[in-house]
Amino acid sequence: MAEEAAVIRTNMTDAAPVTARAEEKLVPYASQRVAYWYFVIALALFVLQLVVGLWLAISYAFTIPQSVVDVLPFGMTRAMHTNLLVLWMLLGFMGGTYYLVPEEAEREIYSVKLAYIQLVALVVTGVIALVGFAFGWTQGRPILEIPTPLDFVVVIGALIFLFNVAMTVIKGKRTAILGMLLGGLVFLALLYIFGMPFYRNLTIDWFYWWWVVHLWVEGAWELVTAAILAFVLIKITGVDRKVVEKYLYIETALFLFTGLAGTGHHYYWIGAPRVWLWVGGIFSAMEVLPIIAMVIDTFMTQRRHGIVIKEKVVWTFALGTAVGHLIGAGVFGFAHTLPQVNYFTHGSQVTAAHGHLAFFGAYALLNFTMFWYAMPRLRGNMNVNKNMALSGFWIMSLAVLGLGSAMAVAGIIQVYVERVLGDGFMVAQGHMQLWFKIVIVFGVLLIVGLLVTIWNMVFAKRAVLESEAIV
Amino acid sequence: MANKNAFYIFLAGTLVSLVIFLALTWDTHQQVDALTNADKLTEQVVTGKHVWEDKNCNECHTILGFGVYYAPDLTKVHKRIGTEGIKQVVLQPEVVFKDSIRKMPNLGVTEQEATDLAAFLEWVSNIDNHDWPPQDSADRMSAAERRATGGAGLSRGAAAFQQNCMGCHSIGGSGGSIGPALDTVGTKYDAATIEAIIADPKSVTPGATMPPQSNVSDEDRQAIGEFLAKQQ
Repeated sequence: MAEEAAVIRTNMTDAAPVTARAEEKLVPYASQRVAYWYFVIALALFVLQLVVGLWLAISYAFTIPQSVVDVLPFGMTRAMHTNLLVLWMLLGFMGGTYYLVPEEAEREIYSVKLAYIQLVALVVTGVIALVGFAFGWTQGRPILEIPTPLDFVVVIGALIFLFNVAMTVIKGKRTAILGMLLGGLVFLALLYIFGMPFYRNLTIDWFYWWWVVHLWVEGAWELVTAAILAFVLIKITGVDRKVVEKYLYIETALFLFTGLAGTGHHYYWIGAPRVWLWVGGIFSAMEVLPIIAMVIDTFMTQRRHGIVIKEKVVWTFALGTAVGHLIGAGVFGFAHTLPQVNYFTHGSQVTAAHGHLAFFGAYALLNFTMFWYAMPRLRGNMNVNKNMALSGFWIMSLAVLGLGSAMAVAGIIQVYVERVLGDGFMVAQGHMQLWFKIVIVFGVLLIVGLLVTIWNMVFAKRAVLESEAIV
Repeated sequence: MANKNAFYIFLAGTLVSLVIFLALTWDTHQQVDALTNADKLTEQVVTGKHVWEDKNCNECHTILGFGVYYAPDLTKVHKRIGTEGIKQVVLQPEVVFKDSIRKMPNLGVTEQEATDLAAFLEWVSNIDNHDWPPQDSADRMSAAERRATGGAGLSRGAAAFQQNCMGCHSIGGSGGSIGPALDTVGTKYDAATIEAIIADPKSVTPGATMPPQSNVSDEDRQAIGEFLAKQQ
């Protein structure tokens, strides 16, 4: 510990990397610029996801007439909502990867052309998939709806991406962050394969469905985001790399230790052996620990460092990621992960509440942390309208907290009326409609917050920014 | 602490969890055939699973609790409404859900597809999944159902009504809302007429959308008739 403190002290006195870089080039490597289009397209898809989501909330809150339902089934729009989520987040991670890899490896990306080819391949696949859903062309399995032929395009796109990143890392400097990032990306791609075959047995089908979905969000994605967050923290706080890397290892160790066996919390009621109730319950109850560690670590970073962090916006989003992760994934996840509770809450709106809060807190805010770090640099303009950026953060965060909480209340009503009183599904839904009207209100607020953020991040002119600049 | 140690902690933690996870995965594969009655997993069941996926059922409904929460869970739907009930809903959703607050789209399912789908759902309903979901658990009959069906001393008719009818019909606010509430049905029909309706609804009201309840035994049908005739 003493040696660490020494490292930090030296750091405080002899370097203020953020200000020192002002004279350097904002984007040190030309190939980092590919990230720009990944980020812009990701943001556009996020807008689309929210618009579709609003329609879903309306479908819950009001009675949609049969004539509309026959043409525009709920299921079709819900498939769009979730696939847009996965696509924009993956594009965000990939863009983030292309942005940070050159700076970490200290060399240009192996092939900029491949990076663009891969982007086009994924976006075209995504668009075909979304249009296909409208015509009922799907695999019919939630989140993994993309039909098998398109799955192969996705796999090819992922392989190009991995090849490109791996070649850059192999030829350049190797750091712990890059190792973690690459490990996470390989893991992510491998797991996707388990979602592709047709399984005759429904129990086995869902068993491996979770190899993709759970092991993505509670495994591979955690590695990728931990690496991205570590990169941003080193850059904006100037804390010694060795310290950040140590916490990166320990936190991801805890994430994987609890998360891998924690997959069992999805195997309670699917026709798998009873032992999963024990293993899933115990390991997933511990899943909150690495998140608490992450929150403490992130806050302590600032305290240990002791200097004022210049990039307030990026820092706010980074703290938001830690806290959002804790609320959405940690608290809401823990609340219904024990089998005794899960017996009643499984497959209800409680799960939807957890899903929305966790994805936003852990992954949307993480993506925005990277966007806010990279975009001003990619646009060659560090004069960010800070007040507007922070307003964007608070509007979006409170909106998601609001809509997630409304869904949680709806979920508790559902559990009580449908599962405890035994009054039937539709009776429960009738009582829940009010809360979905509240979801609509917060949904509109979320869209406003996102549009403000995008306008500020992507479109605001330099002159406007400078006149209102706070930095 | 050197970062090498941190790296070894990372490696050890990950491997321990991975080994546990893979060992239990192997164990699951050993036991899954018995738990899911794999011997009854016929080609028709597999065809039904294809229908389930092609028609995107899982994008509104949950099964084994997974999927989307827009419509009821279908894990035990076959125990709730049987093959005839499933076919009725799937083939004519616009009729069945005429008065429902939430509609189901007509997905153009054929008679054959509906039959295969019902076979799939019948197989699913027999998976040993630790008696989930609670609302369909026979062992865990809810307090409301117990109240509705007459408290501790459950008559045969009340029990049979709870088991066979409450998926669609309600009494005292408990039960389904697909069919009409039956709180005062005794003022309208006598026991014999109710029995006739259960056996073949169209014999009493030609426009009826309720399917014939062929899975209800003669004794149960008689008991339900007597029980409902008393609901006045």
